[in-house]
Amino acid sequence: MMQNSKNYPKFAVVGHPNKGKSSIVSSLALDDSVQIGDTPGTTQVKRGFPLKVDGKIIYELFDTPGFQRARRVLGWLEEQESVPADRRADLLKIFIAKHRDDPRFRDEIELLEPIMEGAGIIYVVDASKPYGAEYEIEMEILRRTGQPSMAILNLIGNEDYTEQWKRALGHYFRLVRTFNPIEATFNNHMDLLESMAQLKEEWTQPIKVAIDVLNGLHQQKIDQSVDTIVESMQKSLTFVYSKDIKGESATKKEKSSSQTAYQQQIVNYEKEREKNIEQIWNHRSIDKVENALVLDDVGLFSKESASIFGLSQKALMITGASAGAIGGLGIDLALGGGTFFLGSIIGGTVGGIGAMLGFNNLYEVKVMGKNIGHRQLTIGPMQNINFPYILLGRALFHASVIAKRSHALRNSVVLENEASYTEQLIDSEMRKKLEKLHLKLRNKDKCNEEIIEEYRKVILESFSNLLK
Amino acid sequence: MQTKNTQLSIKSYLDLSQLLEEYKGNHEENRTFALQHEAFKNDPLTLLYLWLNKNRFRVTSHLKSETFLTHFLTISTVLAFIFLLVGFLTGIGLLSYSGHEPVNIIYYLLVAMVLPVVSLLLSTLSMISDGLLSRFFNLFFPLHWIEKFVEFLPFDNKIELSEIKLSSSLTKWMFLHRIQLFSLLFSFGLLMALILMVMAKDIAFGWSTTLQISDESFQTLLASIGFTWQSLMPNAIPSLELVEISHYFRLGERLDNEMIHNANKLGAWWQFLAMTTLVYAIFLRFIVWIFSRYGYQRQLNRDFLALKGAQRLIKEFTTPYVSTKSPKIEKHLEIIPETEEQITETPHQGYPHIIGWNYSSSEMQLANDSKSIEGLSVETVGGRHSFREDEQIANSIDGTVLLYVKSWEPPTMDFVDFLEMLIDNDEIDEIQLYPLGTVGRYYESDAKDIAVWKRKIQALKVERVWVVDDAEQ
Ligand SMILES: Nc1nc2c(ncn2[C@@H]2O[C@H](COP(=O)(O)OP(=O)(O)OP(=O)(O)O)[C@@H](O)[C@H]2O)c(=O)[nH]1
Ligand SMILES: [Mg+2]
Repeated sequence: MMQNSKNYPKFAVVGHPNKGKSSIVSSLALDDSVQIGDTPGTTQVKRGFPLKVDGKIIYELFDTPGFQRARRVLGWLEEQESVPADRRADLLKIFIAKHRDDPRFRDEIELLEPIMEGAGIIYVVDASKPYGAEYEIEMEILRRTGQPSMAILNLIGNEDYTEQWKRALGHYFRLVRTFNPIEATFNNHMDLLESMAQLKEEWTQPIKVAIDVLNGLHQQKIDQSVDTIVESMQKSLTFVYSKDIKGESATKKEKSSSQTAYQQQIVNYEKEREKNIEQIWNHRSIDKVENALVLDDVGLFSKESASIFGLSQKALMITGASAGAIGGLGIDLALGGGTFFLGSIIGGTVGGIGAMLGFNNLYEVKVMGKNIGHRQLTIGPMQNINFPYILLGRALFHASVIAKRSHALRNSVVLENEASYTEQLIDSEMRKKLEKLHLKLRNKDKCNEEIIEEYRKVILESFSNLLK
Repeated sequence: MQTKNTQLSIKSYLDLSQLLEEYKGNHEENRTFALQHEAFKNDPLTLLYLWLNKNRFRVTSHLKSETFLTHFLTISTVLAFIFLLVGFLTGIGLLSYSGHEPVNIIYYLLVAMVLPVVSLLLSTLSMISDGLLSRFFNLFFPLHWIEKFVEFLPFDNKIELSEIKLSSSLTKWMFLHRIQLFSLLFSFGLLMALILMVMAKDIAFGWSTTLQISDESFQTLLASIGFTWQSLMPNAIPSLELVEISHYFRLGERLDNEMIHNANKLGAWWQFLAMTTLVYAIFLRFIVWIFSRYGYQRQLNRDFLALKGAQRLIKEFTTPYVSTKSPKIEKHLEIIPETEEQITETPHQGYPHIIGWNYSSSEMQLANDSKSIEGLSVETVGGRHSFREDEQIANSIDGTVLLYVKSWEPPTMDFVDFLEMLIDNDEIDEIQLYPLGTVGRYYESDAKDIAVWKRKIQALKVERVWVVDDAEQ
């Protein structure tokens, strides 16, 4: 392992304090454990983020503290006797060696070290703030390292001084790219890697490999998410709560406590699924802000949830009517009657009405085992037609938010433009496919590998669309 | 895909199924495990098996397989013994020669040849069919009913057994496998009885049937039964003469006499019977047993791979593990919140000295004009100035100093060094630090940017240094 340690590409992300270096590294390394903060000097020591495949490093990124005493470093360099260009880098090595124990240059040494060990330079600036001549000192030092380099324009604030920066950076860096760690999509990420590959000829191939690896990893995560959603849907839809009861029939209290227990379990399945999804996408620290999750505030069994993720009344009519038992009257009549209610009343489309009734008839409460002696109250599986859509809608929405979420973000997840998601999540074509599948999924005996595989495909398609 | 060198057992199957319910490992561990066993990278079955052996200790509860196997072995042993015994007793029964009547070889042939052939046929049908059809074929086996009966017997480990779910195909193969084994034992019993009876007694064999079969055609029939050993052991095929003399009718006195006359020759049948038993009841059964073993093993392997969680495990074995995170844990930076100490809301109208950190002279002029602040001397420091130049300025001034800084740029140590030089200059009465916003925003700053400066200054704990905070709250 040690012999190839020199060969893989390394990149040191450097710059002024508080310009988003750690944010960029965090987003590129898909690691949300990186310390990011408003306070300059958040990052105090360099930290390597290797991309490893089966333990073999493909490339390594370094997060570094910002420049603190750049002027003194340059001053020291300039004080030394003039040396030919080919040995200028050695001067920096001497600087590091000489000042290793000098606390004044702790940050500079931390950031220069990886560069002197062969890392390419990624210089980060905040292009939402004006350029200043003091940056030239940092850039001059970096130039003297002799290492290949590029600059990244990160727009932290609302103003835009990109042009100004580009003009200045152009003197020191061959490559200048814009990259916003908060908003960057997976494709932006890959594009940035492509740019990094251009820094040095020997790095092109390994970075190409890295791009393939990351693409594979992305697909893998999508697959795992879909598996998780399917498995969780199966669990929730087939869940049956049962409880022994004493009397002839269940008391009100027994009924309501069982209903709570039933709902609680469904909610737990949802929580478990969300945690799994977050883990798949490396968003472990979201746990800390769990209470702030707006998704949680819109409870699974709430009206809001039903209106956001469930089907519209019209859609429900169609779904309910064709999935439930219809006596003679078709969907056309139900819809052609002008009002949906009229249609459903005439046709007696049980499913249609049931679907609209909301959450009071979520589940059947049955008392079992009358003849065997001991009686059991059972709740579930969920009969409500709308329920699977709500569950699935929430699952897809949560998963897509998590999948797209930058690892540089430290705030809580917010549910935005909720209404616009309904159509996008489950369109009419998907709904048609789901109708039958949900019915089959609910029935443990009728459910087999093929149905699950088919369901998986529908979910995968929808999820992939959401990620585009 | 399947391997010849790993012989999975039902125990491994049950243990893996139990283990997977409790422990699945994670991708990194599982992939590392697979890489440590490179030799089996195309052999998921062996990998799973090795993984099971490595992790079996993690099963915290009692291994269900142990209960199952104990139960299963006990029942199988008892049944095996019973089948052997029944075979033996059947043989004795069939060959009991009272002295009044010869032993009808047709009875014996029914048990030693026809029955096994029918049973082998059923087994084969059950093997090549599946689902309901094969279950239907299995109904014909007595073992099926015996097992049904055993299930009704009270065993204290019964509850645990019901937790063990084997696929119907696997159950079928287990059943067929055992059928062959028990039948084999039955036939051994039969053969033993035959040999024992032949040794211990002289038996007069004969044949008798209501059907109109001539001696010749009966002999041809027998010869075709024995075609496999005809050339090897011609003595073990009954001759026409033997067939003729052993043909008897219950009501005919005539043949009886003849039989008595030839009594010594009638014993010659035993070789034929022994060979029939050996070939049809034992050898053929043995072959089908081998097949059933193979089928059982194949099914077990399939089910092993189909175990819940096994595919995921295999996926993790074969998918490279990618990690992007840092192996180093970062220390959490503690932030002390800023207070209202050392803060002033408005700057003075004029100062003896105004200094701009990282500003140019023209920028300074603009800022002064905009803020309507006048200075007797206006200097710029930081930026491209040398350290020495800054030092000179810091040492040459006195009175109250206004120090402009770019609010959006964080205070670097370079700045702190300069500030300390000002502080060290005793001639200076007061230093007012004024963080300005960008020109684009008319010098207005973000509160969070100013907060950074405040914290920095408050941490210095120097009474002469103030921060001008004119940000709108
Ligand atoms: N809105 C927005 N904020 C950003 C962006 N990039 C960084 N930030 C914020 O800027 C602040 C500093 O980010 P960091 O990534 O910690 O910066 P750094 O360069 O590593 O800082 P030090 O480690 O202190 O040198 C944090 O509050 C980030 O949330 C961005 O693209 N958009
Ligand atoms: Mg940082």
